[in-house]
Amino acid sequence: MPRQISFGDAPLSSRFGGRQPVWDLPIRLVHWLLAGLIAFSWWSVEYHHTDWHIWSGCAIVTLLLFRLLWGVVGSSTARFSSFVRGPGAILGYLRGGWSGIGHNPLGGLSVIALLSDTALQAGLGLIAQDEDGIYAGPLAGLVSSDTSDRARDIHEVNFYVLLALIALHVAAILFYRLRGRSLIMPMITGKAVLPRGTVPMQPGRWWIALLCLAVAIGVTRWFIAGAAPFGP
Amino acid sequence: MRNALIAATIASALLSACGGPQTSSANNTQSNMSDTASPPATAQGSTTTQGNATAPDMSAVSGDQAKTVMHERHEGMESIGKTTKALKRQLDSASPDMAAVSAGAAQIQDLSGKATGWFHAGTGPDVGKTGAKPEIWQNQQDFAAKLRGFQEAAKAFNAAAMSGDAPSIKTKFGELGQSCKACHDKYRSEMHH
Repeated sequence: MPRQISFGDAPLSSRFGGRQPVWDLPIRLVHWLLAGLIAFSWWSVEYHHTDWHIWSGCAIVTLLLFRLLWGVVGSSTARFSSFVRGPGAILGYLRGGWSGIGHNPLGGLSVIALLSDTALQAGLGLIAQDEDGIYAGPLAGLVSSDTSDRARDIHEVNFYVLLALIALHVAAILFYRLRGRSLIMPMITGKAVLPRGTVPMQPGRWWIALLCLAVAIGVTRWFIAGAAPFGP
Repeated sequence: MRNALIAATIASALLSACGGPQTSSANNTQSNMSDTASPPATAQGSTTTQGNATAPDMSAVSGDQAKTVMHERHEGMESIGKTTKALKRQLDSASPDMAAVSAGAAQIQDLSGKATGWFHAGTGPDVGKTGAKPEIWQNQQDFAAKLRGFQEAAKAFNAAAMSGDAPSIKTKFGELGQSCKACHDKYRSEMHH
């Protein structure tokens, strides 16, 4: 249980509107599957299971494509338009002048950084090849052998960038926890206790989620097949 | 119900990825791994260039001779790697250049024969910069068996390339790759660039 924050003399019941939806199921699934698959990707390549590593990367590509689409047509808190904000909004948040649900303006930056660096990492993996020429990403045929080698080198270095971003993400969660707010439980249950009067989440439609998923799978399979007609 | 549906479909997204990036991870069917490797030859400089499966010459070398062996090994491995990469690109493409595939297969078989002389004792990481692990000289029997597996896979791949039978070429190329991997996973360190 997160420690309750007291607001002066006001009874908590009048300030909080009970547990309300914050994160929809697709967002939570994408989040935890990404966390799990990134860990699995590291493990599989570290222990020489390069084929599993490539499959895991392709699954990550599917999740990222889904997340991109859901960020445009999904629930209100999933939409990029709801949390990608300018420096003014970030400063305003730091001064305490922000109320809302979902990613705050600063957290939104972290989400963009994490998603784009994971996308960069997956993209590099798609065109990379291993140093022995045994394994290659499904799109390696679109670039030269030297480019594939360079992509692998950057893929290796960028993993540390991704680790640093993940460390920052976890540190921020700990920071909020120490200040009495648990961010982990809402990402599991989808619900959080919010101040009364907060604009509620507008849930997306389940069939649109299925449609986004179908498109994400379709594009991934097209990549896996070598992205004809651009393929070798 | 709705949630369950979404959960099920996201799970299938993951499965979709298992449908198939094409990796040459054919079942590891290295031939004759059960054969006991012949004991390492002791005479120095008995390298073979015939491309036949022979036990590696693991007699000790030192000084300039060690440096020469390490240099040859590095260049040879790099050459095998480059050739394999080019072969994979050809074989993954819609219309492989079969002349290039045959040339590459012959080159790898030739280099696999030369590999017999690349692992003299005294050419490990204690002597110079190399990815060769000390375990090579601690498990000589196993190492010799793996090297022989590579040589036989190279020979089989070359034979397939000469036959021109596309499915067999792909299978043998996959097996060749696995024979590289079998040794590298165990006997090559990550710090070898």
